[in-house]
Order: sequence, then C-alpha cells, then structure tokens
Amino acid sequence: MSPLPGRAEPVFDSSAPLLEARDVTVSLGGRQILHGADITVEVGSLVAIVGPNGAGKSTFARTVSGLLRPEGGSVRWSGVELGELRGRTLAQLRAFVPQRARVPEGVSVREAVRIGRSPHVKPLGRLLRADHDAVDRAMERAGVAQFADRALTTLSGGELQRVQIAVGLAQEAPVLMADEPTSHLDLGATATLAKLLRGLTADGLAVVLVVHDLSLAAAVADTVVVIAGGRSVAIGPPSEVLVRERLHEVWHVDAALEQRPDGHTALHVAWLGRTEPDSGFHLDRDSPHPPQFPTSEAETSDERTSPR
Amino acid sequence: MSLRQILVALFALAALVASAIASIAFGAVHVPIGDVIDALTGQARDGPLKQIILDLRLPRMVEALLVGAALGVAGTLLQGALANPLASPDVMGVTGGASFGAILILIVFPSQIALLPVGALAVGMIAAGLVFVIGATGVGGGSAARLILAGIAMTAAFQAGTTSLMASFPDRVPGAIFWLAGGLTTAGWENIKVTWPYLAIGFVLAALLARPLDRLALGDDVAASLGSRPRAVRLTAAIAAAMLAACAAAIAGLVTFLGLFIPHVVRMAAGTSSNTYIVPVSALAGAALMLVGDTLARTVAAPIELPVGPLMVLLGVPVFLYLLRRQT
Repeated sequence: MSPLPGRAEPVFDSSAPLLEARDVTVSLGGRQILHGADITVEVGSLVAIVGPNGAGKSTFARTVSGLLRPEGGSVRWSGVELGELRGRTLAQLRAFVPQRARVPEGVSVREAVRIGRSPHVKPLGRLLRADHDAVDRAMERAGVAQFADRALTTLSGGELQRVQIAVGLAQEAPVLMADEPTSHLDLGATATLAKLLRGLTADGLAVVLVVHDLSLAAAVADTVVVIAGGRSVAIGPPSEVLVRERLHEVWHVDAALEQRPDGHTALHVAWLGRTEPDSGFHLDRDSPHPPQFPTSEAETSDERTSPR
Repeated sequence: MSLRQILVALFALAALVASAIASIAFGAVHVPIGDVIDALTGQARDGPLKQIILDLRLPRMVEALLVGAALGVAGTLLQGALANPLASPDVMGVTGGASFGAILILIVFPSQIALLPVGALAVGMIAAGLVFVIGATGVGGGSAARLILAGIAMTAAFQAGTTSLMASFPDRVPGAIFWLAGGLTTAGWENIKVTWPYLAIGFVLAALLARPLDRLALGDDVAASLGSRPRAVRLTAAIAAAMLAACAAAIAGLVTFLGLFIPHVVRMAAGTSSNTYIVPVSALAGAALMLVGDTLARTVAAPIELPVGPLMVLLGVPVFLYLLRRQT
C-alpha cells in the first residue's frame, strides 16, 4: 500500500529492538485479558512465551503482531509504534504463523507459499523473478520443497505446519511469530520443527514462539516470557525463569526442569501430587514388589527431549 | 501459470469472441454478414438492417456480456469471501430483494415499467445492505456464518413479499413470469444506462480484491499476517458482489444460477483456486455462456424467444455434474 498523502513513511530505528512491548493491556468482548505484559525481541534470538491455558499468551502474541488492537501500553517495531504501521509495511516486519490455519481445497503448497509472498507484490502486480526465488528459498528452508506441487489437503500435520512456516518465511520479515506450532504434532514432527525454528535464528531471524511444552521451551529459547493471569510475571533465560517455585506458583504443580549440558531437557513432574517423604512407606496392593520412591518428584516424568 | 490454465483461459476467450459474433450475426431476422460488418464500422446506409444491428442486437450483446461477466465475478467473490463453495449472489439476499423490486413494479405499478431495472437494482442493494448491517456489525460480526444466515433470512423475507404480491394480483402474474424466468430484453441501452456505474465499481473492486481473497483462503490470521484486514476484505467483496448481482438481476432477471456455477466450472477445469486467475477467467466464461444462452434463446424457436434462465440451467447442469463426478 503506498502511503496516503499527508502520512509520512515510518522511520525505523536500527538500534532499537526488533520488537519492544511494554505494559500491554487488551480487552476482548468487554473483559480485560491482558493487564500488563512486556516482551523484548532482539535480532537472532528465540523468545518463548509460556503460561497456563487462558493466561493470555496467544492474545499477547496476536496483539503485538497487530492482529488485535491493544487497549493500552506501547508496542514498537524497530522503534515505530504499532499504530503507525499499515498492512504491507507491518507484513514486512513480522510474519505470524497461526495455531491452526485454514486448509483450503485446491491449493498447492507452492501456491500457498506464493500467497505468503504477496506483501512484496504491488496490488495488481505480478510476482517477479526475485519473488519466485524467495518462494523457492522459503520452501527449501522449511523442508517442503520436495512436495511443492501437492495439495494442502493431502499433507500430514507436521508437513502442514512446515508449510505454514514457509508461508511466513516468504514474507522475509525479520521476526517470525508462531502460535503453538507444535501443539498437534507427534514427537518426531515436534523435534523437526524445533530444529527448524532454532535454525532460523542462526540465519539471523528472530523467532517468537507461543508454546505449552516447557521442556521444549527450555531447549530452544534464549529468553522465556512467563504469562500468568494476563501479566508477564517473569522474563529471562529458561534456567533462571522456569524454576521450581515459579512452576508451582504459576501452574500449581510440583515440577522441576532438568537441562543437561548436552542439550537434553526434561520436565520432572509429580503428576499425581507431591508424595510426602515422612508419610511412611507406600503399599501398592496390586504389585508384589513395593515400589520405591527415591525422590519426591520422580514418580513420573515427561521425558520429551529436544536437541538444541 | 500451467499449460492447462492457459488453455482454459484461451478457450473461454475464444468462446466469448465466437459467441459475441454469433450474437450479433444471428437473430429472428436474417441480416447478411456484410451488412453486419458495415453497420458496426459505420459504413451502412440508414435503414431497418442497420437499426436491427445497432439498436437491437448490439445493446443486447453488450447486456449479455455484462450480465454473464458480472455473475461469474460475483459468485467468485462471494465464494472466496465467505469461504463457502455454496455461496452465490442468492445468499447475500440480493436475488430475493431484486425479485421483490422487479415484481413490485411489474405487478403493482405496471404503467411504470421503465422503472423496472431501477426497482430491481435498488431493492436488491437494500436487501444486501440490510444483510450487511445485521451480519457485519456488533460483537462477532463479519463472520461468514453470520453473513450467510442473515442473507438466508433476508431472502426468505423478500420472497414472502414477492409471493404475497403475486397472490394478491393473480391476473397480473403472467407479465412477471418472463422476468422471473430470466432473460434479456430488447430495451436498447436503457438498462445499461441505469446500471453501468455500479457494474464499473463492482468490476474494479473485484480486480483489486483477487489477491486479498487469496490471502483470506489461508484463514483470517494468515491474511492479517500478510497485511490484509480480513473483515474489510470480506465486506468489500460482498458489497462488490451484491452490486454486480443486483445489476445482473436488473438487466436480465433471475439468472443467478450462473453465479454459483461458473466459478466452480472454471476451478475444476483449470485445476486451481487462485482468485487472481479465477476472477478474470470467470468473467470471460460467464460472459461467453450468457451470450451462447441468449443467442440460442433467440434463434432456436425464432421468432418465439425462449427464456434464457431455464435454458442456461439446462445447458449448465450436465456440465457441472460431469465435472463434479470427475473431480478427485
């Protein structure tokens, strides 16, 4: 969209963070969802937004991306207020990959990724050589080039999610926001996607990930933003933020994060509640061998691991 | 663009050109082709033959072309905007409103027959306007389901009005049948004079909306990520489609089946859903089909004119069902 007469082109400050949001408040349907959430995203970093269901993670990601209108606070992209950014300009600053996109009939992978390129094409204009190259690069990077001509309706969940990433990559925006991209994927597809997203930061992109899986967040993120009750209650490296006290405070479970130096992460959770060590020994009536409880938190554990 | 897509577009274009020529050359009165060319190039002497070509057949050809293109484009816009393959101008309440407007003039004010296109256009757009106000405002407004349901309700209301009028004046119903069946008239340029500004706005909006509608196909969030405002795109597309469909109804009565049918045929034949392709090719294909239908209607049983609407449905349904069966 060309600037309207009288509206100045926004002036970006290259020394400012790619995205800086402070004290964002949002109301939906008369109910305040966010009461004051912050986030800062720098070049080449991966920021994970975590929090319980209904805490406002997705609302926060959608608001800073410009999909929802903030009620208060400030959202700046490279130093420019979100409110001053219009359609195509904003589309070249950030790509938003939704949790579940529509899967239209009769659209091939390549056609979908070409649609992702449209912010770079003038209205009524055609895709140029450079645009077709960008589409090919995006498909190659997301690992979907080998099925470029298949219809979206024939793809598996993992393939579809990578196509969504490719649509976002075709925008060639410096920030990729993804809302729970792994929530419907199996372990293998989740690991593939984690590697892809982490790899994008090595390419110089910043990635913002809304994610439920804390062991995954700890494995891939440089910074974790914990949203609880509509506020950002903690921001920092995973090892400092996802501590036992906070997991208890925010998620109300007894859990501990383990991060091994080789990149394995695990979340040890007392799924059925904490076992008091002084409550005597436990008799399992169905088992001939009484079970052992070496530590209070290791009764069961979520052993999802993701290489960094 | 694939070879298949190019071939389908070329076929539609060739059909359009051939049917336009046939529409001018054939009719109840035989006009030698030399005289046709002379009349069109301004070299013919004044006389009845020149009059037939320039005052009867040429405006009628232009009407058929505009109506067919308008309906093809309107259907494409609505199916894209509402993300629903069943969408046609009917669902926006346009058809119901336009019928009521036309029947009101035909049955209650038959002396004001010149106002027929104005009445159909005006009430058609009022009906669509009401659908937008109800379906697009307020909390959660602008969703496809809400617009469609509002449109169905509005259509039912206007249809009830139409039926009541016909029941109240049964002796005047025969005059209205031809309009309801759908067909072009030999009213010269009058209809086009009334409708052209709305047709022009509708076609320009359609051209601008093709790419935003492609973004919408991937869902509202992706469209927003790509810099579109999904609600604004959906409403603008629906307004453009309503204008085009109301104009088509004002000119040709109820031939709206074309709006449902043409975009599907083009999609199935070309194997793509990309609106940057479907919008222009649906315009070509719609115009071609309308021209073929109108020419057949005038010539098959000449000098009796068959109604175009039913004729085109009879031509179109077998093709549609064949493609539907073949689709994988």
